[in-house]
Amino acid sequence: MDISRRTALLGGASLLASPMIARAQANKVDVVGVYSLSGTFANVGDLLNKGTVMAFEHYKTAAGKQINYTLLDDQGDAGRAVRRVQEAMGQGVRHVVGCTNSAIALAVAKEVQARGGIYIHMAGADEATGSQCNKASFRWPGASYTAIRATLEPFIQANPNAKRWYSITGQYVFGESLLTNARAVIQEKGLTNLGNSYHSLGEREYSGYITAAMAANPDVLAVLNFGNQTVDVVRQAVSFGLKRNVKIVVPWCTGLDQYQAWGSDIVDGVYFGVNYWHGVDGPGNRVLSEVVRAKTNGATNYLQACGWAVAQMFVEGANKAGSLDISDITKAMEGLTYEGPTGTETVRAEDHQVIKNYYLMRGKARSAMRDADDFAEILQATKAFLSPDQAGCKMG
Amino acid sequence: MSTFSSYRSFPDATTSALAVVLVALPFVLPSVTLASELVVFAIGALSCTFLLGLVGLLSFGQGLFFGVGAYGAALILIHTSAGSLVTILAAAAMAAAAAAIVGFLSVRRRGIYFVMLTLAFAQMGYFAMLAMKDITGGENGLTGLPRPPVFAGLGALTHSHSVYAFLAAICFLAFVLTHRIATSPFGSVLRAIRENEVRADALGYDVRWFKIMALAFGGFLAGLAGAMHTIFLGLAPPNTIEPEMSERLVIMAIIGGTGSPIGALIGAGFYVLLADFLSSLWPRWLMIIAFLMIAIVLFLPNGLWGSVELLIARWRSGRVRIAPPGAVDG
Amino acid sequence: MQGQVVLFQILNGVGIGMIYFLLSVGLTMIFGLMRFVNFAHGTLYLVGAYTAFSVSLLTGSMWWALAFGPLAAAGVALISERLILRHTYDMPHEAQILVTFALALIFQESIVLIFDPLAKNVPVPSLLSGIVFIGPFVYPAYRLAVVCAAAVIAVLLWFVLERTRFGAALRAGSESTEMVSLLGINVQQVFMVAFLVGGALAGFAGTLSAPLRGVEPFMGSEALGVAFVVVVVGGIGSYTGALLGGLLIGIVQSVASSLWPEGARLMIYGAMALVLLVRPAGLMGRS
Repeated sequence: MDISRRTALLGGASLLASPMIARAQANKVDVVGVYSLSGTFANVGDLLNKGTVMAFEHYKTAAGKQINYTLLDDQGDAGRAVRRVQEAMGQGVRHVVGCTNSAIALAVAKEVQARGGIYIHMAGADEATGSQCNKASFRWPGASYTAIRATLEPFIQANPNAKRWYSITGQYVFGESLLTNARAVIQEKGLTNLGNSYHSLGEREYSGYITAAMAANPDVLAVLNFGNQTVDVVRQAVSFGLKRNVKIVVPWCTGLDQYQAWGSDIVDGVYFGVNYWHGVDGPGNRVLSEVVRAKTNGATNYLQACGWAVAQMFVEGANKAGSLDISDITKAMEGLTYEGPTGTETVRAEDHQVIKNYYLMRGKARSAMRDADDFAEILQATKAFLSPDQAGCKMG
Repeated sequence: MSTFSSYRSFPDATTSALAVVLVALPFVLPSVTLASELVVFAIGALSCTFLLGLVGLLSFGQGLFFGVGAYGAALILIHTSAGSLVTILAAAAMAAAAAAIVGFLSVRRRGIYFVMLTLAFAQMGYFAMLAMKDITGGENGLTGLPRPPVFAGLGALTHSHSVYAFLAAICFLAFVLTHRIATSPFGSVLRAIRENEVRADALGYDVRWFKIMALAFGGFLAGLAGAMHTIFLGLAPPNTIEPEMSERLVIMAIIGGTGSPIGALIGAGFYVLLADFLSSLWPRWLMIIAFLMIAIVLFLPNGLWGSVELLIARWRSGRVRIAPPGAVDG
Repeated sequence: MQGQVVLFQILNGVGIGMIYFLLSVGLTMIFGLMRFVNFAHGTLYLVGAYTAFSVSLLTGSMWWALAFGPLAAAGVALISERLILRHTYDMPHEAQILVTFALALIFQESIVLIFDPLAKNVPVPSLLSGIVFIGPFVYPAYRLAVVCAAAVIAVLLWFVLERTRFGAALRAGSESTEMVSLLGINVQQVFMVAFLVGGALAGFAGTLSAPLRGVEPFMGSEALGVAFVVVVVGGIGSYTGALLGGLLIGIVQSVASSLWPEGARLMIYGAMALVLLVRPAGLMGRS
């Protein structure tokens, strides 16, 4: 049984409602994780939490104090996330990690800042280290600018004949930022932007959009959305035989778990951009993969890696600071360099964005797979980030 | 389906009981923020309780007005320097206006058609919010909102306790207001409409107008709750206008019982506390709530509070008070 | 070229619409016959889909899934009816809505419990994994097969409704249950059969859709939303209404993705509201 349930049972049994944060003892530090175990994002939340739990179990201590981790289940509701964080911080917690989606992260970040804590999360929204950057929070994955630049630029370079582009975009804030960035790259390289089809959040049926895309006769189809919607679009696009004469590029992909959802027949020949890949060798990834394989007997997927990464960042920062005081940790984390899941990673001081590799991958044919998880090969690893100024970050 | 049958006892014992409960809540519950959440959703549930219990209208669209109130309050906070009280009232008024419009369209139908209309509008409202992402923040919602003092610079809301006091006061007033309306001649007409719409019409009442007014008030309550939610949390997340919010408010109203406004408080309390307590033990707590709903609808049509009232009545007078049968169907 | 695209979008819409028809016909017949509102209808679609997933995982073949999916859905329908739903027939619509809604929640959470919350993939049967050419356009072979299967079912259903005694009883019962029982027909039995068959059809729709869209625990409520729109637009209680409504909604959705892509979802619910306001009987229903 993981730490969170144990704590919850011990604490929750004595009082009505929420998991109790054990009184901070001299040799312990309380850390809370904000993940959704129920609600529509439950799938993501559970794996993220497991990643964090595995990391804390591995590291055990931060700045010499034993890590006491508690999960706050926000049930997919940003309001509930904020309330539980309010509650926890009212009980003395200062160290918060994790989020299941950007709405929750942005909301919790404001709350943690207002109450003088530190928050390390994995939101994909550009605003987290852009217009809404704040001194109390740190973000691990690269966002839409990174995804587009690190995917499209090497792809275009290796495929000079791919001139005509069509995109299918989710009509929401994140999709729009992917599209804006993609259009900028297409224009810069002098390629042709044939058009774009928006779809709404929660859409399941893409045959119409795919038909419209095919009618435009593109060389490349860019899929600009996230989550299940990415899986559905690519699956349906391939079922329409799009791969025969169109290259498919998916700049925002979560890697292994989505590859498994698709299966190798669909993945074969498609280009993906991912924040993490288990096949990358490096000291950080070796540690992570060992722990994950011991626990799950499988390869590490992006969600576990994310959950691990935010926990690792906290531990590394605390260890470097030698203290758990918020201003000490914050100062230590700004400019912190460590061996993370994607290799050497650095926390940029100006906007608290982690500078790390983003990978361009191409799906392999089933016959070329060396094992059941070897769905794709890495073509390029790039660190591509907007400057804090360009991102609109003004950290006061 | 239970109805506002027991409201007559409301101003006496129950009003004071409500005040006592609201005062005691932050001390009884493990945290004052939990108490604030409970109070917010009590008003939200009250909007469903009012409509279903008094008028017999099952609305699966109250979440839309909750969302209008939430986003309305957020926009007011961002673009003006209004105090919290004015913000909440203005946002609730916006929600009431929206409800009047939706109500005007929806009351043309009754029964299952009416329910479906509220469903359709709830869905459309959600997609409209997503489409207007430049204003509403889309899937990210609006965050980092200020929490200005209550009125004219007085009543700072910097501590969780002062926030709770403010919200609890509004909650109390909203309950009293609802009771006043239910006991007024207006309320009697609503009850008559619920019991026999054709007859009320034959008696000369403009049934449609009354229903629209009732829906507007229901929207006002839901919007009030949404605005309170925004002030409480300092953010307006997208789930405040999702169809799930409409479902949640209905669930709370049913669990508590639609026979009296207190049912809304009980239902909201039950849901919020259960969600909070159970979710750490078993993430599938929604299943328990669902079973409870079925049990209540089938065996305890007065809901939890209504059943308590029945027991009290039985104990007091040795005879059973029967709630009138449910709404007229379409 | 533009005109051809729209034409193909319409054809594509027919394909989508046929699944919507299968999904909705049970719901509309049940309501027409027994005035019973079933918010758990989407659950039967969900059960059909997850059965497809499990069976194809266990046996590696979708064909078995096609048999078991509808059976599982009918089974769930039977159990729900026996245990819970029959108690609600005499209750007002609101009670039925709430009970069936709670039931849908229970099944959704059960799916998460039994499987996990992650969306899952169901492979298309290898026989049908290719594409066919319709003029200059490409169409997945599997989708075409689904359309054909749905068309066959539609014809069979029509036959049952128009040419058998059971069908006559069903149609008559939709107009007046008293008359039908006065004529000596066991309305309860007719209803039970209709309920099970309607459920099986929804399950079949779920099974067929699984390779197209994958399976995930919340697909039931999404399916329910679509089913309600189709039923309202087509007319409650009408078989042809479900067919026409399904096709219309499918076509609207498909064409909108060319003309007004971001509004496709909005338009569907807008269409529903419009029909409810202007002509609540829908295209084919009688009020």
